[in-house]
Amino acid sequence: MYYLGVDVGSVSTDLALIDKDMNLIDSLYLRTKGRPINAIQEGLKLLKDKNSNMEIAAAGTTGSGRHIASTIIGADIIKNEITAHAVAALEIDRDVKTILEIGGQDSKIIILRNGVVTDFAMNTVCAAGTGSFLDRQAERLEIPIEEFGDYALKANTSVRIAGRCAVFAESDMIHKQQLGYNDSEIIRGLCEAMVRNYLNNVGKGKEIVPKVFFQGGVAANKGIKAAFENALGFEVIVPKNHGMMGAIGAAIIARDAVAKTGRTKFKGFDLTDSKLVSTSFECDGCSNKCEVVRINENENIIGYLGDRCGKWSNKIAI
Amino acid sequence: MIVGIPKGLLYCRYQSFLDTFFYELGAEIITSPDTNKEILNAGVKYCIDEACLPVKIYHGHVASIKDKCDMIAIPRIMQLREREFICPKFCGLPEMVVSSIPDMPRTTMAPIYAMSKDRLYAWAKKTGSMVTHDTGRIKRALDSAIHEQQRFKGGIKDEGFRLNIALTGHPYNLYDSFINMNIVKKLNKLGVGVITEEYADESIIDDQVKKLYKKPFWSFARNSYGFAVHSAQSKAVDGIIYISSFACGIDSVVIELIKDKTDDFPFMVIKLDEHTGEAGLDTRVEAFVDMLERTR
Repeated sequence: MYYLGVDVGSVSTDLALIDKDMNLIDSLYLRTKGRPINAIQEGLKLLKDKNSNMEIAAAGTTGSGRHIASTIIGADIIKNEITAHAVAALEIDRDVKTILEIGGQDSKIIILRNGVVTDFAMNTVCAAGTGSFLDRQAERLEIPIEEFGDYALKANTSVRIAGRCAVFAESDMIHKQQLGYNDSEIIRGLCEAMVRNYLNNVGKGKEIVPKVFFQGGVAANKGIKAAFENALGFEVIVPKNHGMMGAIGAAIIARDAVAKTGRTKFKGFDLTDSKLVSTSFECDGCSNKCEVVRINENENIIGYLGDRCGKWSNKIAI
Repeated sequence: MIVGIPKGLLYCRYQSFLDTFFYELGAEIITSPDTNKEILNAGVKYCIDEACLPVKIYHGHVASIKDKCDMIAIPRIMQLREREFICPKFCGLPEMVVSSIPDMPRTTMAPIYAMSKDRLYAWAKKTGSMVTHDTGRIKRALDSAIHEQQRFKGGIKDEGFRLNIALTGHPYNLYDSFINMNIVKKLNKLGVGVITEEYADESIIDDQVKKLYKKPFWSFARNSYGFAVHSAQSKAVDGIIYISSFACGIDSVVIELIKDKTDDFPFMVIKLDEHTGEAGLDTRVEAFVDMLERTR
């Protein structure tokens, strides 16, 4: 009996499979590449192939693509990322007081006291200081993002790079390169700029006290972890499954939900063989002109997303 | 004579006044539709880039009616209360619109000082003369407009919800369900009731504002600050949501003032810009409600 959590983010789609004792049985990290439906389908197929005969007792979705994910897999709960991350962290350690989370397009800080979320913040309209920004710079420097952290740790000094805006950071970085700083120093500077931006923006006015968990895809970057520890003055813990915390949280919440309702809405793995197609259209029912997405499984319409009034999405009870 | 009234910015609050005034002058009135995607697109296209979203949207409202009327009423609101001002963008609104949007009909230019009837009459005389030369009629129109405005009670006060939040920020962000992506309905759906500053007594706001080391310069700042801080300290609600448009200078100060006075009281800022994707807003609102439920 397993519980499935699916976290569809801007950059990655994560699937986590946990058992009733909260052990992570299997996990998958896939690039969303702007095609969430394909990523979910591919993820389920890989899970099925690796774990035959498994029974899913509950399924939950989270991440910015949680609604589309739920339409496709049939989720018992659709939960926002803040709650999912907090639940997963508390499962590991009831004493965690701060969660720093940096994902592909957003970053968040979650403040917990006595096992309850008491405050949180997310980045505002600007995506500077998120994973996508680092991805982009890694590409520009022709250094694999996986090695970014090691480069940063190699540097003895750092160079100050403006971190408030991704575009300005890039031009500042180029200028510093032209002054002759090497890759390691530039990367360390980038890590520090990102942490500075995070603490001054997302973390502004928040009381960051240990234990601090650092979650999300960017937590894999040792350079960022080191920069956080440097700035905060104490240890920052990166949980083993830091990149899976959202998906794990969704699975836990789904487990608790099904414990109450009794049965799961999960559609099963057969849908990996279905043909899923999404088409979009502009609804002309009113002047809002919502962009509505229609999702078809083979010949059947399984869901609508994106309408403000519910005219389409309420048509199909998911 | 057809007078066009754009439904942007403070129209949400002074609709009764403007509609009644021009109606009583004998003009035919057309208003722009509620904000929609076309209005947003036109606004972004015409307006200078540095302006905030509500000002851009106002441009879109003007563009949507400019060819259908003989003149457009663009209220240049300078002052609503003694020794307080409102955002400078209002002071220059007619010029901003006229210089950005081509082929504009005549527009009202007179400034509005709303502290007394005498000062309002100065506006009425200039503006009214664009429609009629009958000064008696202008006076009567102003009287009716003031009367109607006094009867107007805006604001939201939901009842019967398990959780309640104070919703604050500039009125045009609160009451434009297109820019704020229907946040009130979303909250209601999650079982959260909403109350706005119109339901707080003036005296309550004054009491809070008096405790500041300096009287706020801006009227909006005064209202949002007084209402939010009172709501937190009296624990009349479970949390506060502040709706702010990206790059708003007044908000940047008021939000810090509120945070400073409300300690750990649940407080969330929603920043609005041109996004029409709702995932970001949904996540924040849902997480905030989850938090309120769990800390309760």
